[in-house]
Amino acid sequence: MDVEVDNILAAAHELKQPLVDLRQLALAFDDLDDNNEKVREKMISVSDRAIKQINDLIKLKHLQGGLFEMEPVGVRGVCDEVVREVDSLLHFNNRNLYIKYPRRIAPVLANRELLKSIVYNFMLNALHYTSEETQSGLVVKSMRDEVKIEFRDYGPALPSDVWNEMRRGFIEKPKSIAMRPGTSGLGLFIASRFSKYMNAEVGAIRHRDGTSFYVKMPISQQVRLF
Amino acid sequence: MIFVIDSDEITANCVAKATQRETRVFSNAIEAMMAIADGEMPELILMEVLLMGPDGFTFLNELISYEDTAKIPIVIISTIDFGGRDLSTYGVVGVLNKDTMLPEEVFSYVEKYAR
Repeated sequence: MDVEVDNILAAAHELKQPLVDLRQLALAFDDLDDNNEKVREKMISVSDRAIKQINDLIKLKHLQGGLFEMEPVGVRGVCDEVVREVDSLLHFNNRNLYIKYPRRIAPVLANRELLKSIVYNFMLNALHYTSEETQSGLVVKSMRDEVKIEFRDYGPALPSDVWNEMRRGFIEKPKSIAMRPGTSGLGLFIASRFSKYMNAEVGAIRHRDGTSFYVKMPISQQVRLF
Repeated sequence: MIFVIDSDEITANCVAKATQRETRVFSNAIEAMMAIADGEMPELILMEVLLMGPDGFTFLNELISYEDTAKIPIVIISTIDFGGRDLSTYGVVGVLNKDTMLPEEVFSYVEKYAR
């Protein structure tokens, strides 16, 4: 891993403790009225997201040591878990999400924790670039040897350099995506690294009014034997 | 009496508040050990293992070396992910992850072990 990314990881470690403290302080407030209770819940939700992202960065370092075991994983279970976790965000921000699963989804070969992080990062991105008038989407498709998990957003187009990297399936470094304000592309960077570790493929599809990001996970052959 | 041991003052005070009981907060293991040596026997210890000075496991090794202190229930509250590892030989009755921990989870251990 290059020095720049190593520095990001060092900073991530430093930033985690203050975020954990802020989350605990928010949880410690007593007797709040309805408005302040909403503010408190938002503070907790924002801290949770930031802590998750820092934990993902720390996991990047552990990828090098091959510490994440691969096993057959149920995609629907992972997606449902993430949907439950982002439910409060949907509620706070008046966002809608449509979900579509096929009747049968074969288990994929993955590390559950890493797959969950990819789904979480793509889901947050989709929610970020959705308005009250549009609906972000999570669609799972069963393919011959893969399962495709797709996230639809309604954000501005990606710049061409990011498209090119997405086409290659690997984001070299986190970078500021000027055309997509409010994002550093960190989620994409993390998703591409985790996907590579699991021999999965990340990609994106351009739409007239947004983008679909996807990850294609290989079906577990081990389970197929049965 | 419940002991809370954490070098991070903010977390330690939040954990102490969540117990809704009388607590003593220590920023390191030595101070906590000294208090026990002076005769204070906590009903429950809530502690981080990453501490300034001797780490949490050094402290736990010390506790399990004596018959009376070996019985004190311990709850580890840490940023380390122990992945469900069994730490009962150290007297550990529970592990809470600081990243996701809720005050009611702390309180449930208090209700169970510090009546």
